[in-house]
Amino acid sequence: MERELLQQAEQAIEQARRAGANDAIARVRDENSTEYTYRDGNIEQVQQSATRGLSIQLYVNGRYSTHQTSDLRAASVARFVEDAVALTQHLSEDPHRVIPDAALYEDRPDTDLQSDDAVVRDLPREACIDWLKKMDAITHIDDRVVSATSGAYYGWNTSARVSSNGFSGIQSGTSIGYGASVTLKEGEHGRPEDHRYVRAHHLSDLPDPETVAREGLDRAISRLGSEKAPSERATMVVDPEAGGRLIGAIWGALQARSIQQNRSFLADKKDAQIASSLLTVTDDPLMVRGLASRHYDGEGISTKHRCVVDQGVLQMYYVDTYYGRKLGWEPTTGMSSNLVFAPGEKDLNGLVSGIKDGFHVTSWLGGNADTTTGDFSYGFRGFRIANGQKTGAVSEMNIAGNFLDLLQNLVAVGNDPNVYSSMQTPTLVFDNVAFSGK
Amino acid sequence: MHTLETHPFAALFGIDESVAAQALSEAMCRGAEFVDLYFQYVRTASLSLEDGIISSANTGIDQGVGIRAVIGDQVGYAFSESLEADAIYKAARTAAAIAEGTKNMPPQNLQGRETDNYYAIDRDWDEVNITERLPLVQSAEAMTRAMDPSIEKASVGWMDRDERVLIVTSDGVFSMDRRPMATLYCSVTANKNGVRQSNGASVSRREGIDYFTEENIREVCQKAVDRTMILFEAQRPPAGEMPVVLASGASGILLHEAIGHGLEADFNRKGTSIYATMMNEKVAPDFVTIVDDGLQENDRGALNVDDEGQATACTTLIENGVLKSYLHDRISAKHYGVSPTGSGRRESFRHVPMPRMRSTYMLDGPHSRDEIIRAVDYGIIADTFTNGQVQIGAGDFTFYIKNGWLIEGGKITAPIKDVNIIGNGPEALKNVVMAAGDAVLDDGSWTCGKNGQGVPVSMGVPTMLVEKSMTVGGVN
Repeated sequence: MERELLQQAEQAIEQARRAGANDAIARVRDENSTEYTYRDGNIEQVQQSATRGLSIQLYVNGRYSTHQTSDLRAASVARFVEDAVALTQHLSEDPHRVIPDAALYEDRPDTDLQSDDAVVRDLPREACIDWLKKMDAITHIDDRVVSATSGAYYGWNTSARVSSNGFSGIQSGTSIGYGASVTLKEGEHGRPEDHRYVRAHHLSDLPDPETVAREGLDRAISRLGSEKAPSERATMVVDPEAGGRLIGAIWGALQARSIQQNRSFLADKKDAQIASSLLTVTDDPLMVRGLASRHYDGEGISTKHRCVVDQGVLQMYYVDTYYGRKLGWEPTTGMSSNLVFAPGEKDLNGLVSGIKDGFHVTSWLGGNADTTTGDFSYGFRGFRIANGQKTGAVSEMNIAGNFLDLLQNLVAVGNDPNVYSSMQTPTLVFDNVAFSGK
Repeated sequence: MHTLETHPFAALFGIDESVAAQALSEAMCRGAEFVDLYFQYVRTASLSLEDGIISSANTGIDQGVGIRAVIGDQVGYAFSESLEADAIYKAARTAAAIAEGTKNMPPQNLQGRETDNYYAIDRDWDEVNITERLPLVQSAEAMTRAMDPSIEKASVGWMDRDERVLIVTSDGVFSMDRRPMATLYCSVTANKNGVRQSNGASVSRREGIDYFTEENIREVCQKAVDRTMILFEAQRPPAGEMPVVLASGASGILLHEAIGHGLEADFNRKGTSIYATMMNEKVAPDFVTIVDDGLQENDRGALNVDDEGQATACTTLIENGVLKSYLHDRISAKHYGVSPTGSGRRESFRHVPMPRMRSTYMLDGPHSRDEIIRAVDYGIIADTFTNGQVQIGAGDFTFYIKNGWLIEGGKITAPIKDVNIIGNGPEALKNVVMAAGDAVLDDGSWTCGKNGQGVPVSMGVPTMLVEKSMTVGGVN
């Protein structure tokens, strides 16, 4: 398989060169997955996917374009690449578009990332159905349950990447995940719902399905009786599962594109104290079994461990070749991998116990942020915290503010990272957040 | 009328009646009650212009067939990108395995379904050269830059899509559709005294290249610039519950989130929607009539035929305040014993169809816009939006206001920005106290996400007032 994908990519490059491209990068990916859903005692859906696609980047006389196709018949690909090169000739020259520097391909790490689990590749259908039946049984033990859906997913993918300036690489891995979502009846029409899903490269890294299903049910039960609380400024405890949304929005401002396009509230903030000294984040593409682990990034640049924020001080931007050239900066890497937070002393419950007045945010509902100014406003649901205790569930509330203020108001970091995500956010506690309610 | 043999789409996919019949039969072989084949061929072209240069151009081809076997409300699904007969049959047998019996399907003659065309265009995008698209994008950028001296960055994005589908069902009917889509996006960053603001605007419709006249391009660019400039004066509103006026047009996002999703019949047949037990109940005042319509000409939400091969329609969801219909796909229509509403949609041949919205809007009400503004002592009016979300069971929904204004003493006063609104669907409906006669559809590039599948939609409302019940995500 790996040889075949590499050959397809090499062939596309050869065709591009023959058609007149100066440089080209081709990627061929092959993905397989199976997905089961089980609802209220029956299999609801079985979906099988096997997909292959070619994408190609072309550099033609100072012009640049990208193309992708799922029609991989030899004659179709040949025609496709020829058309693509011809089209590129019509674009305007862009002096900043050059193929990534081959020097950046050097020193590619070769550590075993353990992204592949043979157990997942050989998973029998019966095992999956068995988990689903167990999850379905657990999610129905409470007679307030209206409907509960359990799902399981597993698959594997391989991708080959070849460039005309000497890059050649293969990355592959397995993934597996399962979980349950549960809807309860409350009052005449109310249907509070919640879910729990987990995913990993290796089956052995997941909690057992019964535990996951029980968490899904317990979360739904905890939503009963939710209310809107009064507006106030208070402490916000962000659950490890909810932190990724905030961090993702903030990290968008660290992209070279955002900075070059004057759309980053973190431009000109390198080496500045952008957050309280409790925030230390590293980007670790070489984490064993990490969900975003890789030996090379989307441009073929060899990956390495990088410090992004050190005790609140911003250390780097995510710089790709194109926007790096526009800014006159050396490329780092264009995209984040696994984000690892320096841990604090306590977990979620330990942190909640020290809070007099606040909210525990378990998930977001809608909301958005402006990368240019850092202004944000998000809907959320979660729990009220009073005198160190989680009290009632809250819903229909928002937070609003600016990320530059929020980050300075980070007063505690948990020791409980969300390991089922590439953004391994722990519990994050912020003071003086504007909550809107009734 | 074409037979499958003579239809040009069948030639495009390289299939004839015998291949289609064999695939249906293979998918049926374990005892499925219904089977469909969804052939799709999509060509896309996109351009992006930054700093005065076309910074990237992209073309794509995506093709394949999705095969679904249905038994009751159970679904087996598989797809193939290869359109070789053997690959199609293999996918059909994989999908068939949802059922566990055996069944021989009698051979049948396929009949073509005739449909109206709600998006006839002069020239398919397939026939338009890249050199014809470039001047549109370049002129949009030049116009935008000229609109205000404080503009530092103007970028323009372009995407067109030429999609052909052929749907063959086990009840012996085949349908086809050719669906154009073109999207122009303009975004702006301006700098005044060292403060930067960014915003954007888009137009997306099932149109050909002739639609993109200088006037239509200018309109999008002007919106992007106006929406950016007003941000320099905009403040965050106070936090808490207050009356919210929804300006006509894109405010239809409220209907989409607060009502539309909750009326998708899959959630209701499972009992997981807050609306599951409200059919034929009075849920809003008399003047509230809300439809979901696939027939709006050249609209982003228009469909000639849905992705299950059903004729599309204009479905009345709420009529004079009474809940009248859910949005159905084949499975839910059978479950409820009603006619399908032509709402079965999917992102691509890799995805199963589900009940989805098309163009969701509210009809005109009896009030005037001025009356509505005057009726608000202290509140906000929402004008432009970026995104929204809903929890189907709790009924809690949100939408994010990018631009709006405060209303004080019955008058529009200061601009506001970046506000998330959160409310509860049935509560908000009850609190719609006024609606004007200025209903209009928004033609922005709205994409609705559900279970990981995105489909194009549109939305609209007349100016309307929701009495104090929703929470405004401001600061205090």
